[in-house]
Amino acid sequence: MSQDRRGSWYLLTGAVLGVVMGLFYSWVISPVEYVDAPPYALRVDFKDEYRALVAAAYLYSNDLLRAEDRLAQLKDDEIAQSLAMQAQRALADGRPEGEVRALGSLAMALAGGISPQATTIATSPILIDTPTTPAGTSTPLLIQPTASPSTSPQLSPSQTSTVPGQGPTNTIQPTRTATSTPTQGAPFVLFETELVCNPDQTQPLIQVEVQDAAGQPVPSIELVVAWDGGEDHFFTGLKPELGLGYADFLMTPEVVYSLRLSVGGQAVEDLTAAECLTEDGNRYWGSWMLRFIQP
Amino acid sequence: MSRLSKFLIAVILGAAAGLFYGWVVNPVEYVDIAPESLRVDYKTDYVLMVGEAYQVDHDLGQAVRRLALLGSSAPTDIVANALSYALQHEYASQDLSLLQLLGESLLTWNPNLEVPTP
Repeated sequence: MSQDRRGSWYLLTGAVLGVVMGLFYSWVISPVEYVDAPPYALRVDFKDEYRALVAAAYLYSNDLLRAEDRLAQLKDDEIAQSLAMQAQRALADGRPEGEVRALGSLAMALAGGISPQATTIATSPILIDTPTTPAGTSTPLLIQPTASPSTSPQLSPSQTSTVPGQGPTNTIQPTRTATSTPTQGAPFVLFETELVCNPDQTQPLIQVEVQDAAGQPVPSIELVVAWDGGEDHFFTGLKPELGLGYADFLMTPEVVYSLRLSVGGQAVEDLTAAECLTEDGNRYWGSWMLRFIQP
Repeated sequence: MSRLSKFLIAVILGAAAGLFYGWVVNPVEYVDIAPESLRVDYKTDYVLMVGEAYQVDHDLGQAVRRLALLGSSAPTDIVANALSYALQHEYASQDLSLLQLLGESLLTWNPNLEVPTP
């Protein structure tokens, strides 16, 4: 009688117990270990580090395909835009100038713009073997063979020395110090200056558009705006929704500004806030649109 | 079939259901991981990038900080592992030399000489 009253609940109890055991095993005894993960699974800040590193490496190699391939691992929707935006964030966060420039250079290159000159280390033929061992086996320089193949090789400075009596040991000897010398191509020139009257945009702006020789917008171009007693810097690409080559600066009325690109080229003088008129005679501030191109 | 047998079968089915849910229906997604969890080839490429960047900035401290994201091993060990992998997989000689140069430079690195970054 009592057995009948228990019914089949014991089956449900068993199933629940099984699930609990499975979870206990997977969460406590053998929890998930994150290994063999791809770069796109990186945390956002690590992705930023990864992009910055790709950009820094690009300054060395100038290998755009390789940089693209590396960045593709992050699976960003818009690679160039991601870089440009990160360059702006880096600038705003006070990151090292080299990092900002590297990000900007790579963004420009990906956008089809100018690219830095490759930095290479011209080395003597790279030979990492010591081919004079009697058995004809080669030993990688700096890699010390260990008894256990599972043990990581160790870097040892003593292995860089030549062993007397064993013939010459090939070492890597850079013949030239690597230097980074980004070039910006031909200087940008002012192509057009236009007063833009837009009733929906009534603040006096200096608007800048920078394009390369192919007509492509160029992000991360530093612009220097100066006035009597002051100076400020801003960059193209800060507002990617308006174009990677776009930047703007809010003017104060009655202040005279000059503007130039930090990479050189033509400066624009005597910029002041100018007024526009609506059809019914109301006044509002217009904006100066300056278009720079690379001839 | 005894009640005990049925109970054990229920336990097994429950565990199987849990595993099916965890592995098929809602499998683990890799998100928000740290670079030290990257696959070994990505790690090697990461170290290679550090080597490339080092050739530009010559900032050993920066290189060490970047390598530190790959785990708590000594920077020289991290580079040695990368070099070992690169050798096994026949990376280009230029890449091998970059890794080697980085490793050689790290042998001279003294953390006590590092200027703290504000």
